[in-house]
Amino acid sequence: MKDVVFYDFVRGPLLKFALFVFFAGISYRFFRVVFLGLPADYAKPKGNPYLMAVKKIIIKPTMGWTFNEIFSRRAINFIGGFLFHLGFLGLTFFVPAHALLWKEIIGISLPVMPSLIVDILTYSALGSLIALTLHRALNPVLKLLTGKDEYFANLLVALILFTGLLANKWAGGGLYIWLLSMHMLLADLLILYIPFSRLSHFVYYFLSVGFMGWNAGKRGVSF
Amino acid sequence: MVEFKEQIGRTEIEKFYEFCKKGINMEVASYLEACVRCGICAEACLFYMGENISGRIDPTLTPAYKADLLRDIYRENYTIIGRIKKLLGLGVKIKPEDLKEQIKLAFYTCTMCDRCTKACPMGIDTPKLVSIVRGALTYAGLTPKDLADATNLSLEKGSPLGVDTQTFLKRLEFISEEYEVDIPVDKKPAEYLYLPSSIELMKFPSSVASAVKVLNKSGVSWSMSTKAHEATNFGIFAQSKEATKEMLSRVLEGAKELDVKYIIAPECGHAYQSMRFIAPNLFPEEWNFEVLNIVEFIDRMVETGRLSINRKVLMEKSTLHDSCQIGRRGGVLKEPRRILGMLAEDFRDSVLIPEHNICCGGGGGVLVIKDADYYRQKAFLSKMTLFDKVGAKTVVCYCANCMLALNTGAKELNRDYRFVSIVELVAEAIEEGEE
Repeated sequence: MKDVVFYDFVRGPLLKFALFVFFAGISYRFFRVVFLGLPADYAKPKGNPYLMAVKKIIIKPTMGWTFNEIFSRRAINFIGGFLFHLGFLGLTFFVPAHALLWKEIIGISLPVMPSLIVDILTYSALGSLIALTLHRALNPVLKLLTGKDEYFANLLVALILFTGLLANKWAGGGLYIWLLSMHMLLADLLILYIPFSRLSHFVYYFLSVGFMGWNAGKRGVSF
Repeated sequence: MVEFKEQIGRTEIEKFYEFCKKGINMEVASYLEACVRCGICAEACLFYMGENISGRIDPTLTPAYKADLLRDIYRENYTIIGRIKKLLGLGVKIKPEDLKEQIKLAFYTCTMCDRCTKACPMGIDTPKLVSIVRGALTYAGLTPKDLADATNLSLEKGSPLGVDTQTFLKRLEFISEEYEVDIPVDKKPAEYLYLPSSIELMKFPSSVASAVKVLNKSGVSWSMSTKAHEATNFGIFAQSKEATKEMLSRVLEGAKELDVKYIIAPECGHAYQSMRFIAPNLFPEEWNFEVLNIVEFIDRMVETGRLSINRKVLMEKSTLHDSCQIGRRGGVLKEPRRILGMLAEDFRDSVLIPEHNICCGGGGGVLVIKDADYYRQKAFLSKMTLFDKVGAKTVVCYCANCMLALNTGAKELNRDYRFVSIVELVAEAIEEGEE
């Protein structure tokens, strides 16, 4: 019964520990930046900075195509990136198999997706991730910018998606518990890893894009 | 005074480090932390694009890469992991060559045009980060020679081209005679203060004459000032707060003396930027003026019926070049398009979204730095793609520095574009209306 013991461990104490580190780490990283403070700005704004900041935070991820020449040169980044984020976030929150987990963590049951959508999202996220990683390895600009962090994160996420896909299709087969435990172990690792890496960009998104919108509002431009 | 040193030693490196460390605030830290290393900014950068057009790829021109040293310094001073690494002796080790590279990255190959910000999925304001690197280099005494000279000349004589009050008055006399216009100087009471830039004064005098014609025609009470006679602010290029403040204090003095309500910035990008967005923070108590760009002013006068443009004066196919500091970073984008619509028979916008226009390649002081010429010419190639896309040989500008950079680029590469100032066109249109 080693497999069940292991399963209980990654599903129980390890997940709890990872979540604790995650929330503590992310809050620390967010507030550390917030507490650095801002110098006062006395220049009269031309537009509405606050409204623009909120607007940018909401619509920015869908507006890549408006810069059409860059979009066409870097379609792989925009389309791949969008599909990956859509898939990854969609799967994390709304997969039927995760529903129980979320109920335990936040106390509310989230709505779930039909399994066909789950499959589409998984394949598109995995495919995008592979394409993005290859692009990273081949494009000269990205080669210069990329460190070990990026490859490790991509590998970890790809393995999670892949084991998740297998677990979803493999129900009842041999070594199922080990496979499921592996998926959970990797997810625990990812949750632990996020506060220490660039994967925590999601919290800074709100600050960075917020500031960009704030500046656009201050200057009275719409993009 | 801004220094230029050939030798980079320990003191310079320490000063650079210290300035970078002090420059971090919530906004800067958010940008530094948010970068996901996607490299999309490279595609927005006119210097990178220019190299790419010629078939070369220079990854170091990527905007994200320009902030990497600053990012490392931030990490080891503000994050736990960075601090531990520093304690273990694995911190940032800056070598003199690194600072040389930073000079190239921040001063030669960045005009702080803000186009990368618009392309960045995380909204990172790279010009903000580059401005800290520039400030740190200036603080360490490593401003490029040409830029340091121009800044110092500006501090000493009042203008980067060495135009002092006497030359200024002589030049105005010349303009007044040559173009038959009345120029009020130090006239009280005045509601508007108009400042020319010395580039216009010395190289495009007709631009100044046109602005004078427009101001006179609109019937507002206005004046130039012998105290505030220079709109350009090289302190911003070098990112020296002291120099910026000194130059702005002259404007403040002149404006206070004439007791004006409005200051009209000329066709000069960073002049508008400095007076509109920077001055209120340097003189929070005293800066009680509304700052308008001359294009904004014309648009306002047309809207209120004080000026009427009834005639088209530009018959050939034409396009518009946006000044980054007035347009994308200053919010004056609709105004020139509205005005040009009234002036030009066949106006074709080269961009779908005005905020996405490409910089001239000479902004941010790049034009005065001789060592940056190669990069500026490459940048001109990227700019040319937009002109050729709409097939226009006539390009309307609203910044004298852009015009100078574009003219220089066109001459160097043997292109026959014609660059005209929008204010000149307006002056021509209202004059013809009189006949």
